[in-house]
Amino acid sequence: MLYVQLGLAALCPAIVSAVFYWCNKATGFAKLSARTKQAAYGLVFGLLAVLSTEFGSQVDGAVISARDAAPLCAGLVFGAPAGVLAGLIGGAWRLLTALLGEGVYTGLGASLTTLLAGLLGAALRRWLFDNKRPAWYYGLAAGFVVEVVNMLLVFLINMEDVHTAFALVEKCTWPMIALNAGAATLAMLVVSALAGELQRTGKTTRYQLAQTFSRWLLLCVVLAFLVSSLFVYVLQTRLALNDAEKMLSLYIEDVMEDINDASDENLLALTRKIRDSLDEAGDYEGPALFPLLVANNVSEINIIDKNGIIVASTTPAYIGFDMTSGAQSNEFMALLAGEDELVQRYQPISRNAGVSMKYAGAVLANGGFVQVGYNSGRFQADIDGQVVGLTRNRHVGEDGFMLIANEDFRLVSDPSGHEGMSLGVTGIGLTPDADTYDAAADKFGREWQVLTESVFGESCYVMYGVTEGYYIIGALPKAEVVFGRNIQLYTTVFIEIMVFAALFALIYLLVKKLVVENIQKINRSLEEITGGNLNVTVDVRSNEEFVSLSDDINSTVHTLKGYIAEAAARIDKELEFAKTIQFSTLPCVFPPYPDRTDFDIHATMDTAKEVGGDFYDFYLLDENRLAFLIADVSGKGISAAMFMMKAKTLLKSRADQESDVAKILTQANADLCENNEAEMFVTCWLGILDFRTHIVHFANAGHNPPLVRHQGGSFEYFKTRPGFVLAGMEGVQYKSGEFQLMPGDEIFLYTDGVTEATDANEQLYGEARLKAVLDRLEGSSAKDICLGVKRDVDAFVGETPQFDDMTMLCLRLMPKHILTVDPGADSMPEVVSFVEETLAAAGVPRKVVVKMNIAVDEIYSNIQRYSGATKAEIECEVNGNRLTLAFMDDGSPYNPLDREDPDTTLSAEEREIGGLGIFMVKKTMDDVIYEYSDGMNRLTLKKSWEI
Amino acid sequence: MNIQKTVNGTTLTVAVEGRLDTTTSPKLEEELKGSVDGINCLVIDFAKLEYISSAGLRVLLAMQKIMNKQGEMRLQNVNETVMEVFEITGFSDILTIE
Repeated sequence: MLYVQLGLAALCPAIVSAVFYWCNKATGFAKLSARTKQAAYGLVFGLLAVLSTEFGSQVDGAVISARDAAPLCAGLVFGAPAGVLAGLIGGAWRLLTALLGEGVYTGLGASLTTLLAGLLGAALRRWLFDNKRPAWYYGLAAGFVVEVVNMLLVFLINMEDVHTAFALVEKCTWPMIALNAGAATLAMLVVSALAGELQRTGKTTRYQLAQTFSRWLLLCVVLAFLVSSLFVYVLQTRLALNDAEKMLSLYIEDVMEDINDASDENLLALTRKIRDSLDEAGDYEGPALFPLLVANNVSEINIIDKNGIIVASTTPAYIGFDMTSGAQSNEFMALLAGEDELVQRYQPISRNAGVSMKYAGAVLANGGFVQVGYNSGRFQADIDGQVVGLTRNRHVGEDGFMLIANEDFRLVSDPSGHEGMSLGVTGIGLTPDADTYDAAADKFGREWQVLTESVFGESCYVMYGVTEGYYIIGALPKAEVVFGRNIQLYTTVFIEIMVFAALFALIYLLVKKLVVENIQKINRSLEEITGGNLNVTVDVRSNEEFVSLSDDINSTVHTLKGYIAEAAARIDKELEFAKTIQFSTLPCVFPPYPDRTDFDIHATMDTAKEVGGDFYDFYLLDENRLAFLIADVSGKGISAAMFMMKAKTLLKSRADQESDVAKILTQANADLCENNEAEMFVTCWLGILDFRTHIVHFANAGHNPPLVRHQGGSFEYFKTRPGFVLAGMEGVQYKSGEFQLMPGDEIFLYTDGVTEATDANEQLYGEARLKAVLDRLEGSSAKDICLGVKRDVDAFVGETPQFDDMTMLCLRLMPKHILTVDPGADSMPEVVSFVEETLAAAGVPRKVVVKMNIAVDEIYSNIQRYSGATKAEIECEVNGNRLTLAFMDDGSPYNPLDREDPDTTLSAEEREIGGLGIFMVKKTMDDVIYEYSDGMNRLTLKKSWEI
Repeated sequence: MNIQKTVNGTTLTVAVEGRLDTTTSPKLEEELKGSVDGINCLVIDFAKLEYISSAGLRVLLAMQKIMNKQGEMRLQNVNETVMEVFEITGFSDILTIE
């Protein structure tokens, strides 16, 4: 019944833990604040401790209960505050019970222990286990330690009554440890099982450093504990035995002394009496001895002369024996050397080793001495009165006692009045008839040895000594001998457990603080470094080893950074080369056609990476047709750049052979689709402009629509339905379209890197902004338009890095100024002012204008004077720093350039004035071209200047 | 074109302003030819002349030939543009340019 009750109490913490665990998982309890939950745990486990106290079992003033398990569980499983609270409640209740008179003896110790259990659970969880629930075996160890502390406290608090205290401790220790440690372990096991931690996840479970360390530490601590405990046990046992031996031999010697004294006194008294009788009679002859022998009831009387020779004896055989011939007899020679009296122990005699005798001697008046002998039967009969009951009231230690037996193993003295009986009644197995001194020695060993015997039913340490034919036996109950040792052993073991537990906790904590946490710190830094952040430094400086490790890692990372930078620099260089090559394949000399004043073309490309996938291109197919295109390869970087080269080359070669833009794209697509394993594609807008008609034929392979501006208007997106991308699918047939441009019109091509440039707020630059900036740039050169757009995009994106290649191409047809005049009329001033005003308006320098005026004067005056033309046309175009001025007339065909140049070295008298004008024009112009077609003379002047 | 004539004894100074081209040269030729009688030193000031075409050169050549017979002809304040024309055409060797 008692065990059932205790067992149920031990089950309670496990049951309550399981219920709380379930509540936390499956009910609204989990939603409560941490503080409320801790209070709930603390209260419930505190109540559990109270219940354990109430249902505990009373043992001699102590309550055996599983009380300490509850606060311990609360602390370890549910949190530090809960543990402290439960400990306080349980401890307070136990103290109250003690004050009310129940379990008083252990009251203070037990209540302190319950409080301690809560605190220990809380502290372990808080500092040793990072506020996590530890494994079950820590519960076992903690329960163990708590009960050990409990026992120590009980023992220390009741020091004034060591025996009772120790008896209680001996009785309670194991049940208390089993109950509390068992209950705590069970509770933690149950929770672990519910959490699914007990199933093995895999064979290769890796332990944390601290875990491995703690396992080895635990092993070492347990070993050290066992060794030291064993040592204490052996040492203390040996010491106790030594003490017992010493005590027994002392007591035995005391009794022997008493017996010896009694028998010596007795024999000496007889010897003196005989000596006095002899001296009185003065007759030392043999016959005189016999009456004395009878009267004194002794065994033997010898008279020894001055020379140590027996001269008379009651035993005639001894006469003539030289006393110096044997060790025993020689002792008596001391009487001839001045001693008055001498008494010997009962012992074998020199004359005959088979006979034992006790002798005494006294000096005679004649100078010799008399020796009186006694056999054991005679003197024992004499001294029995003194020996019987001698040890009746003697004790050895507290419960030990003394026995005396005679040569026949009959009791002469014992504490319980068995005198006269065989020694066997005490339990010592020697019988009067069967056993001899040698048998006793065989059975028990020699004198003064400690033996273990059951005496009067109690296991005792036994020792015996022999004197005067008596066996003096001392017996000391074993329990008494080992009592001291047990106290020593228990307290030592208890204190060791505490010390080792504290040591374990301390070392565990130190390893965690000094090694594990630092390693974790380093690991976190390393993780960041591995993640790509090479600027992280490891900085654990708590001790020499970690400083060195940190420094090593840092210098490794530093070196690595160096290598990476080196490699990056090399790649940068390579990319720089690649970029140079890529750019060199694109038309990059501007203006590309310095002799053309009828159009202005400019293109820019800004790549996101060093090499890009965008490209533009333009080339004159012949003097009247300009092909221009813009394209964007999917992707960026080297691969895109290489694909771009391929696409560019293909388009160029196709355009050289084919004049239909749709066919150019169709064929280029077919070529690009071959072996396109990289799955790349290109969008492309291709146009061919015919300067004679100003019609643009175009085809679009998935590219953004261009912007077109007609003279005097604003830019508009020229949207048509685009074809599929190039290299995307085999067999795609592209369609061409056309639109009309006029001199003064502009077309702007771009890639999506422009419209999809993104600012910090993820806003796209967009088509609207592009159109707006282009409109603002009206009147600018193609170059300024491209640069202006780039500037606007840059201002828009701000600090955000460029994400995509940004490519633009701007083509402007220059405005053409034409004057039609009648050469027959006085139209010179009209022509001069037309040219002068047109040039001035286009910003041509005054010096150049003057030269053009001279040229107009020379050429138009010639037309007026000699051609016979009825109609003349003057065309004027300015493009940047160059201009074209053309004169057309329907007069008779005449090439002024055929005329021989005048000799400019002649003197004034010899000079002819004719031909000088055209000569001057040829000299001051960059180029003068004469053509005759469709019945018209056409003389074209070209002039450029430095800006 | 403006022409300003100043006679100082037998020296005639003519300042020409504007352009000397097909349109204006006949006027200068007419003015000069009508004024050089009895003049043995003709000074033409081109300080305000903008440019000169071959028609102007023809006038200068004609006057040079005349003045070679009755004295001398000098050109003053010839600007860069005009000088360039003289040099291209070899007139800088024929004319006396101060």
